[in-house]
Amino acid sequence: MARLATTADVFNAVAEPQRRRILNLLVRGERPVNFIAVSLRYKQPQASKHLRVLREVGLVSVRGAGQQRLYKLNGKGLKPIHDWAKTFESFWNESFDRLDDYLNELQKPEKSHERKE
Amino acid sequence: MSAKNNPTEEPSTEEFVITRVFDAPRELVWKAWTERDRLMQWFGPKGFTMSTAKMDFRPGGIFHYCLRSPDGKEMWGKFVYREIVAPERIVLVNSFSDENGGLTRHPMSPTWPLEMLSTTTFVEQGGKTTLTIKWKPLNPTEEERKTFDGAHGGMQQGWTGTFEQLAEYLAKG
Repeated sequence: MARLATTADVFNAVAEPQRRRILNLLVRGERPVNFIAVSLRYKQPQASKHLRVLREVGLVSVRGAGQQRLYKLNGKGLKPIHDWAKTFESFWNESFDRLDDYLNELQKPEKSHERKE
Repeated sequence: MSAKNNPTEEPSTEEFVITRVFDAPRELVWKAWTERDRLMQWFGPKGFTMSTAKMDFRPGGIFHYCLRSPDGKEMWGKFVYREIVAPERIVLVNSFSDENGGLTRHPMSPTWPLEMLSTTTFVEQGGKTTLTIKWKPLNPTEEERKTFDGAHGGMQQGWTGTFEQLAEYLAKG
């Protein structure tokens, strides 16, 4: 299981709504932790705790700039979720497309007396 | 414990919902779901074929299938039917499986709920049929619930900005 842990942790990390809010905030660009805390009205230790989780799963990166630590969204880290959602949705969308074709095919004999081609 | 005791925005597990309208009477859509040979005609993404399908369509019965991808990969899964109300509603437990029908984990996410409860409803109006499928995790562990909620958030909630950034990233190759 260890090999797959990272993928699983990304799902886990974004299951927490406060962490999703942080990610949405970081879409606008790199931000220091106190800006994040103030914007979202979290206490700084709380914001730091969430940022640590996000960093551990590779969803954000951090760099020091003078006395500040700037957090940045890492879009690549969201790929497992994107891939998963895409797989699930395309599974059903494509199945439904096929069902649609199949149902049309079944109903053809009754409806195709006036074929134009 | 009442749900009202929880004023925070911590999500309770919401169902994941997909819906589609088909230009066909309900009777026909129902058959396409509940008869093995018909289900084999369409179930699975484009280019996939169903290489194995055993169906025992009754409450407690099982549909066990194998989908083969265009590049030859096999994916086994099964439904265990719980409730059948013809031609309106099917409640079933959906899971990945091995070729013997044993439960297996999601190939991409080891903490994805082992079993999902899915409810499919068929509603006819004016000769068209609206099909709705709702999924939620069945007796999830805390970890499975979080995984489902995370993916759910990725799929159906306000993630537009974050996913746009991802799309940009992916477009760059």
